[in-house]
Amino acid sequence: MSANAFDLVVIGSGPGGYVGAIRAAQLGLKVALIEKFQHLGGTCLNVGCIPTKALLESAKTWDKLQHIEELGFQAGSPKYSWDKIMGRKDKIVDDQRKGLRFLMKKNKIEVFEGHGRIAGKGKVTVALKDGKSTTLETRNIMIATGSRVRQLPFAKTNGKGIMNSDDVLFINEVPKSMAIIGGGVVGIEFASLFARFGTEVTVVEAAPQVLPYEDEETVKELVRCVKKQGVQFETGAKITAIEDMGKDGVKLTTAESTRIFAKVLVSIGREPVTDDIGLNTVGITTDRGFIKVDFATYKTPCDGIYAIGDVIPTPMLAHTASAEAFHCAEVIAGKKPHKVNYEANPSAIYTYPEIASIGMTEKALKEKGIEYKSGKFPFSPMAKAKIEDATDGFIKILYEPKYREILGVHIVHARATEMIAEFSLGKVLETTVDEIAHTIHPHPTLSETIMEAAHAALGAAVHM
Amino acid sequence: MIIDSVTESKKRMSSDVTEVILPSMGEGIAEATLVKWLKKPGESVNKDEPLLEVSTDKVDTEIPSPASGTLLKTLATEGTTVEVNATIGWIGPQGAEIPAASVKKAGASAGKPSPASPSRSGTGAPAPAMTRAAASNTSATTFFHDGSITLRSSPLVRKIAREFGIDLRRVPGTGLGGRITKVDIEAYQQNPMAHMPAGQPVAAQPPLLARVSTQNANGQETLEGVPVRREKMTKMRRLIAEHMVESVRVSPHVTTTFEIDLHKVVEMREAHKKSFAEREGFNLTYTPFLIRAAVEAIKKFPVVNVSVDGDEVLWKDAINIGCAVALGAEGGGGLIVPVIKNCETKTLRDICKSLNDLASRARSKKLQADEVIGGTFSVTNPGGWGSITSNPIINQPQVAMLGIGAIVKRPVVTSDDKIIIRPMMMASLTFDHRVIDGEGGAMWLAEYKRVLESWAEVP
Repeated sequence: MSANAFDLVVIGSGPGGYVGAIRAAQLGLKVALIEKFQHLGGTCLNVGCIPTKALLESAKTWDKLQHIEELGFQAGSPKYSWDKIMGRKDKIVDDQRKGLRFLMKKNKIEVFEGHGRIAGKGKVTVALKDGKSTTLETRNIMIATGSRVRQLPFAKTNGKGIMNSDDVLFINEVPKSMAIIGGGVVGIEFASLFARFGTEVTVVEAAPQVLPYEDEETVKELVRCVKKQGVQFETGAKITAIEDMGKDGVKLTTAESTRIFAKVLVSIGREPVTDDIGLNTVGITTDRGFIKVDFATYKTPCDGIYAIGDVIPTPMLAHTASAEAFHCAEVIAGKKPHKVNYEANPSAIYTYPEIASIGMTEKALKEKGIEYKSGKFPFSPMAKAKIEDATDGFIKILYEPKYREILGVHIVHARATEMIAEFSLGKVLETTVDEIAHTIHPHPTLSETIMEAAHAALGAAVHM
Repeated sequence: MIIDSVTESKKRMSSDVTEVILPSMGEGIAEATLVKWLKKPGESVNKDEPLLEVSTDKVDTEIPSPASGTLLKTLATEGTTVEVNATIGWIGPQGAEIPAASVKKAGASAGKPSPASPSRSGTGAPAPAMTRAAASNTSATTFFHDGSITLRSSPLVRKIAREFGIDLRRVPGTGLGGRITKVDIEAYQQNPMAHMPAGQPVAAQPPLLARVSTQNANGQETLEGVPVRREKMTKMRRLIAEHMVESVRVSPHVTTTFEIDLHKVVEMREAHKKSFAEREGFNLTYTPFLIRAAVEAIKKFPVVNVSVDGDEVLWKDAINIGCAVALGAEGGGGLIVPVIKNCETKTLRDICKSLNDLASRARSKKLQADEVIGGTFSVTNPGGWGSITSNPIINQPQVAMLGIGAIVKRPVVTSDDKIIIRPMMMASLTFDHRVIDGEGGAMWLAEYKRVLESWAEVP
């Protein structure tokens, strides 16, 4: 085998690609990993999950400092340094990048820095950073090129007045005002972030509800809480023009009005990156940018080529991509792994409070005509919620009435994302409400609320 | 550890060459690492003399030679992992030839590919063929739910199983680690018969023949010298076989038999059979009478209509009578037991109609999955072929089955010592002695007899 021949070439080093590369290497394959950006880790590590959550944690601390006297502390008038907050975020990201480099070395994965393109079956060319090009021969290819932010056709982001979510992570000061176009997960998280640092935030959403894939009830509770942080919402809005006027701000025109904001953040979703990766050389077609695969193996119609993560039409989530890539690597190594269980695929929104959910929403159950019941319990009576000064929110368990199979769980609370994993396991094991209610949860914890919601479902919550 | 090499390695050829096979070293040990050959190829070895050293997860041991002769060839090298039953060498007279095909095959299954070699199909050697395991008389390790391993399912699956009385050992699991999932049990409910994976035992590993079959000079397989022809059981046959063995294992069977005078029933049928056939479009048979009478007897002695769950008895309000139907050549052979539901509310005429419908659909294989489950008591009628009395096996999870004999005209001595001719029938009740004692069985049959001998219901 020549130096540039591999068992597997992974294109893209995000949470899909690097996990797939490591798993394949663990199983004895010779693996190459290609990354066109400066750092490994993809959107998640560099301009997604990790930096946003780092900033959101700072917002949480700052928010707490505003009420610190209620908690018995004298802290004078607290101040923050945006530079240092950004520096902390950068350091966390950088530490994780170093960790990734180490993992590549440890698993003897060869990293190629450049733009990888499929060049026919079993061939991938890499346009290297230094201008040269190299061709890798490989038995298998895993496409893990991920996604990028979607642009508004009439108002391209410019990184100055009109920003996308990549740009805003490097914003050098907290803006006085900001319009956020699109009330999806990214938009709402940034709204919650900047509002707590004092920005006048307006979320402009075309649909009648923000976070349309989440349960209406948890979204309603979140909107109520985020409004208290000063965020304004305009749903059903139609934007006609956005104009960056330089130091005079950005002019936003909707069907109703024209206003000036310091910044406009465009967060209208993401699209798969599949247009310049050489799919045409092997005859793979895309549907709205997505690659069609078999969900048991992640094989594309082209033998030896696999695709996972944001480039295939499954939820655009880091943990979903990781699960798919792990599975795909095992398939490539000749194992027969168990299929990824998409019904047990949680989602997490890191606003304050957070929303975490798994399974179906009430709306989806109604639309599909599935009979269900609901067990709901608020955090407000729970001792630990009071201790943590976080009593907003509730847990709602949707279940099938006969066997009490769990169909969906929706949590809205400051620490919702840490609590949903119990239900991921529950879904994988096909747990019913009975077992959740029967499980001893430690006291005092927030997780007791899970047990209470299960008891409520069975008709008798204890602490209510 | 003493290993009987003779039973593990056997001569596979007509010549004096003996295959050296890695013998089974105990339950759960599937492979061993070959530590050292104690003889080199070309060296002679006596039978039962230590030939090689192996190391397993549990034990390190020497393997004795299966035969005397020269070690002709070794197929596994020191330090490699070898599967139990794999061929690792050959012993025979000096210079004897080893069949090329065997060498190749054995070589391929001896060593595992090293984990460093980038192989897409790196799953190791194929499992030894069943015939081989049978020949060496080792019990093959199976992945099936045979009761000896913990059955993995889910709370949801167990609830569904409890409701429908599904024996989870029959449901193949496709989830993580063989776990039975909701999808699996739903698929099983849809089509219990067709859901068996091809070529796999239904639940328990079917017991192998106690004696090893051999081959005669013509290459024909023989059993105790008798030439035999091997044929795979159909799925249904296998299911029946397994169910019967299981039932006998679970329930202590007791049978008691009564003789019943059926002249009132015969008179009733004779009086109505013509009009019945004209009205209903099918013939009036005796079986509905016999089922209807069983329902009345169950109402009086419901202990035959229960199930046993550990040390608890499950009493049932519904009386659902399973009626064994032989499918005959038309139905591809075998037996199925459709269930007439809620007989406690049905008249004789209702039962006639239900039975005719179910039996004809059973023969044409058009029964729904839920029409063969949920029985609470069963009736079998081999009397139709002339059987006088029978000794049925209980249809689990029920606790009793009624066997009906042929209706035969016999001379009967009346209470005033006259001899008259009467249509007589033997009825046998086989019951589960865990819950029904001899008295209970006899009382039930006495009531059954009373109902039939005083028949009055018009069909």
